[in-house]
Amino acid sequence: MKSADLVQLLISGIAMGSIYTLMGKGLLITFLTTRALNFGQGDFLMIASFLSMTLLLAGVPVIVAVLIVVAVLVVLGVGLERLAIRPLASMTAGSASSLAWILTTMGFGMLLQNTAQLVWGKSRFYSPPLFSAKQKEVVEMMGARFYLEELIVAVLAMVVVAVLYWFLFRARWGKEVQAVSFDKATASLLGIDVRRVVATSYAIMAVLAAVSGILAGPLTTVQAHMGLLFILKGFAVVCIGGFVNPVGILIAGLGFGIVEAVSNYINSAFGDLYPFLIALLFLIARPSGLFGEMKTDVR
Amino acid sequence: MKLHRIGLIAASMLAAFAAHAENIKIGAVQGLSGPPAIVDFGESYLQGNQLALKEYNATSPKHKIEFIVYNDEANPQRAVSLVQRLISNDKVSAVIGTVNSGNVAAFAPMLQQAKIPLMAGPAIATDITAKFIDQNPSYIFRCSMVEKFQVDSMLDWGVKKFKKIALLHGTGGYGMFAAGEIQKGMKARGMELVAVESAAPNVTDMTPQVLNLKNSGAELVLMFHDSLELLYRAMPKANYKPVVAGNWGLSSQMVLNIVGQEALEGTVMGQALDLGDAKAAAFNAKMSKEFGDKYRWPVVAALGYDGMRILLQALDRAGGDPAKIQKALETTTGFKAVSGTPEKPFGPKDHECLDAENVFLGVWKGGRVVKLR
Repeated sequence: MKSADLVQLLISGIAMGSIYTLMGKGLLITFLTTRALNFGQGDFLMIASFLSMTLLLAGVPVIVAVLIVVAVLVVLGVGLERLAIRPLASMTAGSASSLAWILTTMGFGMLLQNTAQLVWGKSRFYSPPLFSAKQKEVVEMMGARFYLEELIVAVLAMVVVAVLYWFLFRARWGKEVQAVSFDKATASLLGIDVRRVVATSYAIMAVLAAVSGILAGPLTTVQAHMGLLFILKGFAVVCIGGFVNPVGILIAGLGFGIVEAVSNYINSAFGDLYPFLIALLFLIARPSGLFGEMKTDVR
Repeated sequence: MKLHRIGLIAASMLAAFAAHAENIKIGAVQGLSGPPAIVDFGESYLQGNQLALKEYNATSPKHKIEFIVYNDEANPQRAVSLVQRLISNDKVSAVIGTVNSGNVAAFAPMLQQAKIPLMAGPAIATDITAKFIDQNPSYIFRCSMVEKFQVDSMLDWGVKKFKKIALLHGTGGYGMFAAGEIQKGMKARGMELVAVESAAPNVTDMTPQVLNLKNSGAELVLMFHDSLELLYRAMPKANYKPVVAGNWGLSSQMVLNIVGQEALEGTVMGQALDLGDAKAAAFNAKMSKEFGDKYRWPVVAALGYDGMRILLQALDRAGGDPAKIQKALETTTGFKAVSGTPEKPFGPKDHECLDAENVFLGVWKGGRVVKLR
């Protein structure tokens, strides 16, 4: 393998891996507060891609477009919690059907897919670049060429990890999340507004999906079904990283992206198989993930 | 007395006419939702069908046509149940569709058994009509591109012009099938592909594959993957600009919108519609007027238009009896097509409206697909 090719693959892998990381973190944050994963999160990403594409093509400045997309997605995220998660939690607590959130989050996602098809049509689109003047403007570094978006998405993923880490382990809100995660009733007795903490976690999930969608748009093809692959890979990443720590998810996300790029380079016929195969083998050896605890959860 | 006799003759003529005028149902099964590549094909072909029917109805035809359209969502099981519904409940006289060759392969035997003519399209797999042609008679017809024909014309051109040819294909049903045809075709021409790269149907990045294509030194890349635009996205990163040739999907306006005129310039594809021809240009203008910016794929729409017109002309002559429609389709002559379809599209042993000599290569030039000279 040429060294320039290796650099190129690393950058492409890290860029895609960063989006998987952001998706994984969205899954983590809602899991901590409600023990539910938003399987429609890929469709949140898709809506964000479509919205940012529409706004950018309409000539809206990037920063304004980002703010609008984030605001819309936060409304969707809080709406999801209010309509598809909270009613189930109170109605089905303790019963086998407490897994009904799988259906409701997927249903919410399908609703978004169909809405996108009605609004934007069933075809494929390409979002304009956020930071380059032209669609095909490439940057050269160490003999490798890449889009500026690829570099920015990687940097942004690290910033988001740092912020999330600080929020979860240093800020008061993080302590509240941990208390809610441990036991909602006890947290409530301690004076924590459980509903506010849960709603905020869904808003954060939506912000992460919004950022992923805005960044993924110019890197890949925008279409109504684009979210499925991102949520699948985001789920694999959060399993590898462990459902406790954003740093684990970052390492897993970037690793997944790099393995994916390199395996497609070595053998493109089965390029998508190897990352999942490695993930499976890793989880057999370490079921709780990179930073998960090995002991039994007795809560 | 004389007037009375004239009245009687007129009445009996009207009665005879009324006996022949029928309400005839045509069923369409088409891929109208699902993966974007499928929808683009399905909608474009259906637009052609609809324009043909609109023009037919404007001529005050003998028969009243009811056009029943179902969406198979690119799902073979759904396609089979919809065709069953068309046969048993709707009692159609003929069926037209669909995009997925696998779906057509699943329901064509049902229509053959029910003795109801099928005008397949825009499915592209080579053997769709060939499987049934020895049955006497075959009810399976097609008005669409045939994969082998476009691959043959591309390889005939490619091996003459380029020393190093590579392939990038999808790992879905269509991509694997096309790859097989290309590898067979290359071997038959005494050449080997310098690289064979593939990608899953929902891939989000093709940078690794493009790096390998560049390293192989390929001057011509044969592109047979649904996500056509991802190749063009990765090429500037690899600083690589080979000639790209691919299936007729590359002629879609959608590809131009996504990839851009500059990147697409010089891209070659299989074609069966020459917009330089006056009839084709007039059709193109009519379609643009009828469907506006929803019209995006001239060649697919043209084959949908021609396929429906051949069917309607056959119905006009034969009425609603499927067996008579089958005969009328086989004996159609003097047909004026907008696509490359010849004046006699079908015969007892030829149920493809396009023959190898009707397929040619098109090339993107200045934002338009023109015939490659």
